[in-house]
Amino acid sequence: MRSARFWLRRLAGLVLVLFLLSVIVFLIFNVIPGGDPAIRLAGRHPTPENIAAIRHDWGFNRPLWVQYGDMMNRLFVKHDLISYQDQTKVLPTIGRGIPRTLSLAVGAAVIWLFFGVLFGVISGLTAGRWPDRVLTVVSMAGISTPIFWLGAVLLYLLTFQWHSSPLFSWLPAGGYVNLTDDPGQWAAHLVLPWICLSVVSIGFYSRVVRSSLLHTQSADYVRTARAMGLSRGRVLLRHTLRTSLIPLTSLFALDFGAAIGGTVILIEPVFGINGIGQYAQQSVAHLDLPPLMALTLYGGFFIVIVNALADAVFTFLDPRIVVE
Amino acid sequence: MSVQVPERLTETADPAGPVAAVASGNWRMTWRRLRRNRAALVAGAVFLFVVLACYPGAPLWAHLVAHRGPNVQNIQGTVSSGGHRLPVVRADGTPIGPGWRGQYLLGADANGRDLFVRVLYGGRTSLTVGLVSALVCTALALLLALPAGYFGGYVDRAVSRLLDLIWSFPVYLLAVALSASLVVGGLNVGPIHVGSSSLAIPIVVIAVVFVPYIARPVRGEVLALRNQEFVEAAIAHGAGPLRVMRQEILPNVFATTLVLFTLIVANNILVEAALSFLGVGVSVLTPSWGNIIEQGYSTIVTAPWQTIAPGIAIMITAVSLNVLGDGLRDALDPHGRLRGVIT
Amino acid sequence: MRRRLALLTALITPALAGCGGGSSTPSTGGGGSGGGGAAVNGGTLRAAIPDDPDHLDTGLSYATEGWEILESTGDGLLGFKKTSGAAGADIVPDLATAMPAVTDGGKTYTFQMRAGVRFSPPVNREVVPSDIKFAIERLFRVDSGGVGFYSGIVGADSYAKTRKGGISGIVADDKTRTITFHLTQPDGTFLDYIAIPFAFAVPKGTPDKDISTVSKWRIATGPYMISAYVPKDHITLVRNPNFHSWSTSVPAGHLDRVDIKIGTDPEAAVNEVANGTLDWYFEAVAPDRLTALKAQFPNQVHVYARNNITYFEMNVRKPPFDKLAVRQAVNYATDRGALVKIFGGQGTPTQNVVPPTLGAAYAKQDPYPYDLAKAKGMVAASGTKGMAVQVWSHATDPVPKAAQYMASVLDALGYKASVKTLDEGVYFDTISTQKGDPQIAFVQFDQDYPEAQDFVDVQLNGERIVNVGNQVTSNIDVPSLNRRIDATRRMPLGAARDAQWAALDKSFMQQAPWVPFLNRTLPKYVSPKLHGLVFNGTYYEMFPAMWLSR
Repeated sequence: MRSARFWLRRLAGLVLVLFLLSVIVFLIFNVIPGGDPAIRLAGRHPTPENIAAIRHDWGFNRPLWVQYGDMMNRLFVKHDLISYQDQTKVLPTIGRGIPRTLSLAVGAAVIWLFFGVLFGVISGLTAGRWPDRVLTVVSMAGISTPIFWLGAVLLYLLTFQWHSSPLFSWLPAGGYVNLTDDPGQWAAHLVLPWICLSVVSIGFYSRVVRSSLLHTQSADYVRTARAMGLSRGRVLLRHTLRTSLIPLTSLFALDFGAAIGGTVILIEPVFGINGIGQYAQQSVAHLDLPPLMALTLYGGFFIVIVNALADAVFTFLDPRIVVE
Repeated sequence: MSVQVPERLTETADPAGPVAAVASGNWRMTWRRLRRNRAALVAGAVFLFVVLACYPGAPLWAHLVAHRGPNVQNIQGTVSSGGHRLPVVRADGTPIGPGWRGQYLLGADANGRDLFVRVLYGGRTSLTVGLVSALVCTALALLLALPAGYFGGYVDRAVSRLLDLIWSFPVYLLAVALSASLVVGGLNVGPIHVGSSSLAIPIVVIAVVFVPYIARPVRGEVLALRNQEFVEAAIAHGAGPLRVMRQEILPNVFATTLVLFTLIVANNILVEAALSFLGVGVSVLTPSWGNIIEQGYSTIVTAPWQTIAPGIAIMITAVSLNVLGDGLRDALDPHGRLRGVIT
Repeated sequence: MRRRLALLTALITPALAGCGGGSSTPSTGGGGSGGGGAAVNGGTLRAAIPDDPDHLDTGLSYATEGWEILESTGDGLLGFKKTSGAAGADIVPDLATAMPAVTDGGKTYTFQMRAGVRFSPPVNREVVPSDIKFAIERLFRVDSGGVGFYSGIVGADSYAKTRKGGISGIVADDKTRTITFHLTQPDGTFLDYIAIPFAFAVPKGTPDKDISTVSKWRIATGPYMISAYVPKDHITLVRNPNFHSWSTSVPAGHLDRVDIKIGTDPEAAVNEVANGTLDWYFEAVAPDRLTALKAQFPNQVHVYARNNITYFEMNVRKPPFDKLAVRQAVNYATDRGALVKIFGGQGTPTQNVVPPTLGAAYAKQDPYPYDLAKAKGMVAASGTKGMAVQVWSHATDPVPKAAQYMASVLDALGYKASVKTLDEGVYFDTISTQKGDPQIAFVQFDQDYPEAQDFVDVQLNGERIVNVGNQVTSNIDVPSLNRRIDATRRMPLGAARDAQWAALDKSFMQQAPWVPFLNRTLPKYVSPKLHGLVFNGTYYEMFPAMWLSR
């Protein structure tokens, strides 16, 4: 196991990265011309006194670093960060979005892991023959898909154009239903978003598993095992797949972190899931700094944490690996 | 939709060291291997076709067949189709759909512009953004990765932390936030003035965001190359750091960089589309594949081709680049040592 | 990302342009909204909205969605007649027993307040005149966007600065149940200001912050009260147990409950109404679905006329639009029919400032028939050919397409046009500051109150030009016209005043500070079970009038 010092350093690194992220976001949104929130808060017939009062009440006239400190205080200590756009509290909105985004990302992750590994194994075992070729085309297409576009086209075709077909009539045209309210509808609403969020990763994983299989199949210990009379299937499971788990874990950490922390911004708006991604997209559009700040830190936190977890899993899978 | 390069593998999984496969003399071998890879050849041909269709092809089609440029609007006009004169845009705003005719082959958009012409011209924008941002990205990545890997120590730590920082940012959130702020006011820093509708904005944003994807694997290679005998020898002969990096190291990371470059072009084309779709990419008046999708999406029910056609163009281009990159990798690295590095 | 996505994603910022149009003509396809026999009481309306309303606080809400809900929960001294059509602009007593006595040459308004109207639980007590005074003073303390309407009250300016001691020009006497307003100068539309939700009664003690999500301070006087509001999730309206109808102008409401689901985009709303899982949706029908729906369900599609003017403003302070000939040329070169198509045919082309829904204040004119050749000649003679012109637009579909059309018009006239888009949520804030002032920009204006002053005075009076929050985006400043506006403002509401507005409309179009092109409509698609649809230009559709057939 690792020393306390290692984990402490890791933690310090995490805090530093998140701090820098927050500073960057804060600066990006404080240099925007026309992004003056006081004017926006003043409504449609603002008077100069009104704007001055708002500027004072909200503290927009204070030095930037004081404003930054206040925002961090409201975010982490007082938990009452408020949106400039509609003056609702940011944290409860994020709290409501998290189950939606997690439903989307976890479901998609299960799908892409399953199909990615399945396609990769088939591809690797039949390398050079037609199943491999077909799956190669499929995974290449997957990697090359603009996912928001896929979502838009699937929604159009399945829930509008071919909606009357009994095959697709059960598919809702976007939206979200809580898992606890109705598991069936929850899944029905998420099927298309899951597919869209997973196609790219399915493509990548099947490529990774395939090359990993080919790579290790020629490795000495696998040859030895085969020579000792172990069946191909056993060798595959015992040695080869286990080895491919390492690049897979690493990929998965990146992908899952990226999905939850960012890629959902492309999927949620298309399907109206109203989770973290859609909130982020709206906040960017409104140049609404407080929710963006919270969401960036949330996303960054996820990415860093998931990757740290992956490192831990690494050492468990293959003790020879020493990270850093 | 992103190039995924598990960087740890560059440092750990491949004890055999960097891929020095392509020293300068091996290009002929590489080409011979690539020629044997039919899929890669087809992909290369398809990509070439896309480039030709968009660059010389777009104005040719616009002038000779469609008789209108990509921005010529015609809301109140008519077009003859199957012996009838049909309005280009109906009273309820629905544009004409695809049909076998020279004009409006794929139909019109809401402003009465020729969709096919716009897709061709949109390809120019998307390819330009994809290629130029990939070049900028690669250049930035090399500028960071070469000294980091070569000097190690503080330089390496500083560069690595910077890459970590960009890496920890939710990619799309960073790209979207940066673009949103730049699209509002343009960029005015000292002597640099970039207009808010400039193509440079999406190009630079995309380039910066994806720097770690190239810089990390390259840094890993440089780090390993640094201790190779031929590098030590060059240094012993009195070559300065710049010279060693240029003459000894750069040629040896070229293979990796080239493969990554191909893949990142495909990636950047997809990202351009995504940013434009979110309304923070290419300025609305310039057709790009992402823009055409974005503008067509609101009428997908009545005019689906406006959304579907540019998406298909994106996929064809991205698939060809990805297959080509795959083939290049195999050709440059027949023993599969890059495999862990570039998936 | 725009409309669809926009709506999908709530880029549909609640129409920040205040509230919409006065008269409504449910005009489409024989839509029998009022039909269905006698009204039935009871039932739950299943409603949906694409995103949170801006606020559920009468002190802060300044968007259609907020007012639509707050109309059913609150009351002011006066209200707009809760009917469709031009009569919806009529002002009637609500919490007041009668229309006010106007004295002192139009500078003093005295109201007598009705007895026996009680606030909803947990406040429960009777509404008194000082609750109105409290509500208006609170606007200044919560930095409300509505303070501009009340700055003409004596003492309001100093109260805005000090926030101490109250507004001296509002005298409330709870014993005699009277409240008197003293204005610095006569203003015919003061009655309108008293009828909009900013002046609805708010119980004293309500905190000086947004109470949208604070249930114990969301106090109602109307037939419904907001029992729950969870942002991004749902809003629930239930009957106010303390409500009893005190006049025919304040209906008691037929529905027992309104469940508003937050986060449904327009496409999904159409599908849900078609599938029978949704009764009513806040926003317009997705435009690409409208044609088919009209044909298939003529009785479920309703098209309302909003008090709306949609135009491109040309900034007279910036070349080339500092030249009158250029502004007129752009008017000649704009084919309004093409722009109407871009808006899905949803509206009527116009060349007026005042919308046709405002009665006698509207006198149809057609000063700039489409004539591209003439326009080109005018531009060539002006010597401005070849200039770079940037068209500003917000990003909600189809507005960017309209901006691109305008760019093509400018290109045809010999300019080098480009288009700049900003999200709708920040667009109007940006174009209304002189710093971000564009050369030519898309503007869509929906009324705050149903009177032509809101269109002519607010958007064209040069004396109103300010550096921040500038509604006179064209910066047009013609002293003689300004003086005529000021004189008209002081007149009492009525025909003579309307005639003055119509004349001003004509004079301004000669100055051509705008390219007005469209009066937009609001198409709706509702469940076949839903009846009693009434569209008021200020409050929009009203829950208390709706009922569901069994």
